[in-house]
Amino acid sequence: MAELTSTKLDPDSHLLLDQPLLRLPHELLRKNLKSAQRHIEIANKGITTSIQSLTPHSTPADTLAALDATLLKAQTLKRKLEALHAEEASLHRQQKARINHIQELHEIPTIADVKYDLWSQTRLDRLLVDYLLRQNYLASARQLAEAKGIVDLVDIPVFEDCGRIEASLRGSHGEISSGDMREALAWCAENKQALKKIGSTLELELRLQQFIELARTGEMGKLMEAIVHARKHLVAGQDTEFGLRAGGLLAHAPDTMVEPYRTMYSSARYLHLAALFLRTHHTLFALPAHPLLHTALSAGLSALKTPTCHSAHNPHRGNFSHPRNTTSTSISRQSVPPLLTDTPVCPICSTELNELARGVPYAHHTKSYMEEDPVVLPNGRVFGRERLRGLNVKLGVPELRVRDPTDGLGGTEWAWAEVRKVFIL
Amino acid sequence: MDALLTAHTTLTAHANLSTTLTTVDSLINLLQQTRDSLAAAADQPSTNTLPPPLQIAKLKAPVKQAFEKVEKDLKEVNKGLNGYQKALKEKFKGKDGAGMGGLEGGGEGLGGGSVGTGMGAGGGSAGGGLAGQKGLVERAIAMHLLREGQFDVASTFIKEVSAQAESRDLDGMEEDRSWLEDFATETDDVDMNGEHSDDGYEDGELYGPEVIERGYLQRKFAEMYRILDALRNQHNLAPAIHWANTHSAELGARASDLEFELARLRFVELYTSPNPDPQNSDYLDSGFEAPISALHYARTTFPRFHPRYTREISALLGALAFSPGLSESPYRAMFEQPSWETVANLFTTSYTTLLSLPSQPPLLTTTNAGTLALPSLTKFTQILTKTRSSWTTSHELPVETPLPASMIFHNIFVCPVSKEQGTEENWPVMLPCGHVLAKESLEAHARGKGRCKCPYCPVEFRVEGGGKRVFI
Repeated sequence: MAELTSTKLDPDSHLLLDQPLLRLPHELLRKNLKSAQRHIEIANKGITTSIQSLTPHSTPADTLAALDATLLKAQTLKRKLEALHAEEASLHRQQKARINHIQELHEIPTIADVKYDLWSQTRLDRLLVDYLLRQNYLASARQLAEAKGIVDLVDIPVFEDCGRIEASLRGSHGEISSGDMREALAWCAENKQALKKIGSTLELELRLQQFIELARTGEMGKLMEAIVHARKHLVAGQDTEFGLRAGGLLAHAPDTMVEPYRTMYSSARYLHLAALFLRTHHTLFALPAHPLLHTALSAGLSALKTPTCHSAHNPHRGNFSHPRNTTSTSISRQSVPPLLTDTPVCPICSTELNELARGVPYAHHTKSYMEEDPVVLPNGRVFGRERLRGLNVKLGVPELRVRDPTDGLGGTEWAWAEVRKVFIL
Repeated sequence: MDALLTAHTTLTAHANLSTTLTTVDSLINLLQQTRDSLAAAADQPSTNTLPPPLQIAKLKAPVKQAFEKVEKDLKEVNKGLNGYQKALKEKFKGKDGAGMGGLEGGGEGLGGGSVGTGMGAGGGSAGGGLAGQKGLVERAIAMHLLREGQFDVASTFIKEVSAQAESRDLDGMEEDRSWLEDFATETDDVDMNGEHSDDGYEDGELYGPEVIERGYLQRKFAEMYRILDALRNQHNLAPAIHWANTHSAELGARASDLEFELARLRFVELYTSPNPDPQNSDYLDSGFEAPISALHYARTTFPRFHPRYTREISALLGALAFSPGLSESPYRAMFEQPSWETVANLFTTSYTTLLSLPSQPPLLTTTNAGTLALPSLTKFTQILTKTRSSWTTSHELPVETPLPASMIFHNIFVCPVSKEQGTEENWPVMLPCGHVLAKESLEAHARGKGRCKCPYCPVEFRVEGGGKRVFI
């Protein structure tokens, strides 16, 4: 163990996982601004042209009608801007709540502080809600966020929208799934500029899928429609690949065995589209691709894990767990309980995480880490001398006698003289 | 942090759509006025107003100006957003972009789905890592929700997981959801509120049933929260004492102080209460003085605690001699602030320990450890990526990860010769002199010799039977 036992809190390195927390509201504000710009552009164009269209020769009635239309446009703009402004205000509130939450961490001096305990609990709740949202357990996510009062610290609406679109792309489960692309295409339109900026091919892939659906029918009319569709949507940009693939597809019937057209006709393509949508969505909003809980957990499991945690000689091992290599589905307990003495149960040894930690590497140590004044019992078990003595008093072992506390009340008793000092360098 | 706060204040103060809205409002006013005056002119052509064409012409410039103003307003918002982005970038300097990428690889790569293989850092694909262990992660979450007392969330969660599992089964995807069997759903009608002393195995139960039935943990944690609520919020010891009495043997075997602490608190409560509530006490009739009731309690309860707590008991009883001048007695310290919170925490620890669960939520400890370890791991993966090397030891992390003493739960043995940790295959061995080496180090050291010397002291010993396995 290097100089690892310091409990000083370095907020900046502690926040590796928390960038998305502050980043997402910002990205949403940007999107909000973009929408405002778009509305204004449309209104500007509309209003300016309708005013310009009025010539001195227009009749008073025409002029009035044109003015009314203009007014209506301005009012529509106002309504839209008001909605965006309200959205903006709520994003600002979220942003503030998150900055405050991060600020709190900066005011905690050490991780031994009680406040850190509270703060890290909130962080765990955030990570859990994030996980639930990403797995589409929306009701659980909402309920947990509300119960913990952290609605402003998590992004329920974002994931709700994202989950809905993804699900509609995946389509209902069943034999031949065919997803619904309308929502996804609307989303693409909404984020057109941003998608262009990151060079996303999502919209092209979706348009190609529409083309595939038209080609699938095999009807002449639909095939013509497909060609028109391809001309309209698949020639955008310098990328000729989509056009070429679409052209090739026309030459093949849906039951073709020729690749890549067989794959293109496959309904599994919708799953691919759904996955692509998720990736694109997360990239666009600077969201990590994997649940943060996974990142935090796998690092934590490894950092805490020792070779002892999965050892048969581990007295801490949780006493009920799914037996490995059996088909039994219920939890069974060992008939003899491990005695846990007075040390806290290791989280990796606990039932909750033991199986999960089985595959992860254990922590790297370069120095032994031992209790004070280690001694060894005749059965080979090593204890700190004082702890051993204290436990034996509590277990009511007579003076000058000693018992292995991990064997509990029924263990063998030795004379203290048999306990030997052990040197661990 | 300050830069972020300032940037945020700028956003809320003026870099938002409110100015734009004002501009749009004045544009609407202008249009409205023009329209009204035109309408008025149409009604009464005689009035001395500008002819409509001129009015319209007059409108063009202000409309153009209004939209120019709007553009300017939006630029202001954009500027505010840029300011915030800059502050954000500064705050997470060196941690965004490549940092997050490395971290992703780090975190996921370390998670390595199957033992040993494919654990090269940065090789974290969506299918690897913990993502491949969805069932286990979700089981841990379900248990966490229960231990946090979030029973409603837990049951919603279990419902949603089951529903999703079913729909995936329809899709032909097979996942391990067997853990769901252990949790009750609403339809099981688990009794979460009633008394559980009629559980069958509750009394005299030492180690619980061989097979845990559905909803076991749910009921256990519901019981825990009921007792804790009584302790913390109602200062009612009865449920806790009842529970401790029922599990006396197990608590004793674990050297837990809970039973005695509860009895001590009860004694203090009786002694100091001005008017012992007869309903709350099973041990005496009403009308006795407080110290007498405490004495009664002591006589019926304390003998069991001999000899382990003899000293504490004599001190408690000694205090009886000072009634009513307790506040001036040498015993007053024992009676000040009976610490309900301490006892509640002790109860939580004992209760979870009997369930073989840590008293601190493992998910909390683990995510905390994870955030402490991440900087080292991220840095390491970044270096790996830079040098295009890979990490070959799959069973052990390649770098030390800092942890405070409170997160070290086991003794850790590192062989002073080979610097390897003691494992199931390469266990620690004690030499006759008391020095400990790893088994393989000793074997290498003693190879081909009949006798050898401890590497750390002058003691010599016969190789055969010279080392004894120890459990650290």
